[in-house]
Amino acid sequence: MDARTYDLIFICRPATPEEEVDKMIATLTHAAQEKGGTVEKTEKWGTRKLAYKVAKHREGIYVYLALHGTHGEMIHELERRLKVADVVIKYMTIRTDEELKRQRKLAGRRERRAARRPRKQAAPPAADQAPAEMGAAD
Amino acid sequence: MTERNDENIQGQPETPAAAETPATAPAESTAPPAATPAPEGAPSRPQGGPPRREGGGFRSGGPRREGGPRREGGPGGGPGGRRPRKQYFRKRKVCRFCVERIDYIDYKKSDVLQSFVQDRGKVLPRRLTGTCSQHQRWLITAIKRARNIALLPFAQEL
Repeated sequence: MDARTYDLIFICRPATPEEEVDKMIATLTHAAQEKGGTVEKTEKWGTRKLAYKVAKHREGIYVYLALHGTHGEMIHELERRLKVADVVIKYMTIRTDEELKRQRKLAGRRERRAARRPRKQAAPPAADQAPAEMGAAD
Repeated sequence: MTERNDENIQGQPETPAAAETPATAPAESTAPPAATPAPEGAPSRPQGGPPRREGGGFRSGGPRREGGPRREGGPGGGPGGRRPRKQYFRKRKVCRFCVERIDYIDYKKSDVLQSFVQDRGKVLPRRLTGTCSQHQRWLITAIKRARNIALLPFAQEL
């Protein structure tokens, strides 16, 4: 199976102490490793205003994890833990590998196209070189 | 001329644009450029008719331009309504994502997405933003993801 990448964002209650959030991240990291995945990146966005009320809260502590896994079982386990946790009021997991693949493909195509363009411009100097070589041979 | 002077003496010194009698209508039509065929129908046309028909075109040109044609169309009557279409050239909009060469619209950048959403939280149509169809599709998925994680509102109460 192909390696899959995921984005996992969860929101904690605004009153959650810092240690609780860190503990949550540690549990999730551990659970992901148990299921054969890795946490590539962890970002704590801090307290942000929510666009709408979630569990009667107007703001929440955002935590973002970039995950690397091989199958969906890891996500099942992580989402189960997030659902059970009291401090978490909302979470979302998104599979990103297909979009990143597309992004790389488009970027590669653009690079190739950009590489082709200077070649046309470089053609005249190449033509200049050819007669010089011929002259040298004579 | 004599008829008109007589009426002025009888009635008001300045007759309004609306023709009350058929005799005054041709005489007054020379002074203002108001349409001769139907004086009652003409004023209603620039107010109600053309904006509705050309609404899409003008609105996409920006809200500021909407005022221009209406002011012009008012006194001009029937032919005035058509004129603004030639006068105002819409500036061609370019997809902002294409200009910046973006291959992936990040749902986490809520400040970028915010500019493609109305105050209430509705997605702005392509004809207003100029986004190309491909980027609009990516943009919509990004907005929907941002909504799910409370970065953008589903519907903002005002």
